[in-house]
Amino acid sequence: MRNILVDIKTNESKADFTSRRNLLKWGLVSFGTLALTTVPTIVTAQPGSKIKTLSFNANDIGILNFALLLEELEAAFYAGVVNSRKISNGKELEYMRALGAQEAAHVKFLREVLGRNALFKTSDLSFNSSGLAAVMTDRNTILNTAVALEDVGVHAYNGAGTSLTNPTYLLAAGSIVSVEARHAAGVRALLGRSTTELDSERSVSDADLVASLNPVKGRAYDELYAPGQIIEIVGSLKILNNPIDGALVA
Amino acid sequence: MKRPISKFAWLTFGDYLQQITPSLGKLLILPLVLLIIFATSIPSAYAQGAILTPRQVVEYALTLEKLESDFYTKAIAAAQSGGLANAPRIAKDAIQAYGADEAQHVTDLSAVLSSLGGDPEAIAIPANPNYSAILKRDPFANPQDFLLAGQYVEDLGVAAYKGQVQNLLAAGEAGKPVLAAALAIHSVEARHAAGIRSLRQNLLGANVRPWIRNASEVIYQENRSNSPIPFNSDAFDGYATRDEVLALVAPILTTRQPSTNRGNMNRPVRALW
Repeated sequence: MRNILVDIKTNESKADFTSRRNLLKWGLVSFGTLALTTVPTIVTAQPGSKIKTLSFNANDIGILNFALLLEELEAAFYAGVVNSRKISNGKELEYMRALGAQEAAHVKFLREVLGRNALFKTSDLSFNSSGLAAVMTDRNTILNTAVALEDVGVHAYNGAGTSLTNPTYLLAAGSIVSVEARHAAGVRALLGRSTTELDSERSVSDADLVASLNPVKGRAYDELYAPGQIIEIVGSLKILNNPIDGALVA
Repeated sequence: MKRPISKFAWLTFGDYLQQITPSLGKLLILPLVLLIIFATSIPSAYAQGAILTPRQVVEYALTLEKLESDFYTKAIAAAQSGGLANAPRIAKDAIQAYGADEAQHVTDLSAVLSSLGGDPEAIAIPANPNYSAILKRDPFANPQDFLLAGQYVEDLGVAAYKGQVQNLLAAGEAGKPVLAAALAIHSVEARHAAGIRSLRQNLLGANVRPWIRNASEVIYQENRSNSPIPFNSDAFDGYATRDEVLALVAPILTTRQPSTNRGNMNRPVRALW
């Protein structure tokens, strides 16, 4: 599995991401171990507090909760970006605010749909402050991280789509995923990157794609990633401490 | 937030019949008419209109993809030695890349259709579709018009695929491979739409964003009342049913050439198709 943060323009970032790519290459970055063993103790939760494990079932409710987690991550990321004051360009800042508001709208919608079936509260999420800081060091890192998050969101919604059984949930997922794709393309345009995802940028190679989910693949397609693959990619970003398990991501 | 459309220029079915009557018997216009009659005569038991089989969905999608692919082929020609020759390199690159994507969709959907027992060659479009129906003027005459027409086409493509996901789900396991392909295409069309919107914002200073801020930006019905999904929010993209899309596309599928001396050039582009 390749790192999703490709095409980083700045030298200092490149070094950072190269080292992370090496971790991935050697198979050291599985989500749970990453979250609990490679995060410095200083940024893990306070002594005595317990970080909630997120267990996703392999059904519609599990999928919606999984989508909710991704939306929460995106919403938290954009909120952090705005607060970081690292984006000075007016248009780019407007994009960050707009994308953050739209992710927050997705969170609100999914929580309304899930109601008491929501697996976790926003306050149950334990964000890794150093991991978040690392993706907000400068404008290029921020925008490339945004692209990475949006691209993975697109692959995640697509991958979950064929597993949903409720037609309204499927249409809602479709209504959201195309907005995520617009986000990805819009931020890619800000960076001067291809607005579609190049095969070389994909974090899951052809060989690792789940064949039954991907009757078509290549540049003209946003391939369907399995939830477990999504968790591995998100884990490489090191921004969430919560352990993740359950049949959906197994 | 997206505002509702105040006045939506739906082409009535009677208008449509009048327009295409001279061409009846040619191409796939007749089948399209029958499709529309068939689709509209079925009461909508589903949120997204009549239930289509996976094969019907693929036939419909292939029609749209052939049209989109041809649209970009014409644009590439105009970028080489026509009205788009002076377009910035970044716009020409997008035309090339998006055209290649649509051509790939045609290739792969053709194979899917064959696998379902259909005939991809029977899905035909005119050699020279009437693209002037989009803006009431030649969309390849200059980059401004091309990008606006392209935005309409791509946004409609996104909505068209979204409008079929429930049909494919209803087909059960048999629909899964087609649903997977449709999803993989659907978000790429959204990237195209957003990419063109970005070009319009960044190159032309157009008051547009990669996402849909206002229902008046698109030519299909973006907002839907009585839906549990908040389509009127800019965080949620709308869908279009097959009969809605085919009604919008029908004027393009005629070979009728545009009248150039009716004072259409200065018409606002809000009255569409």
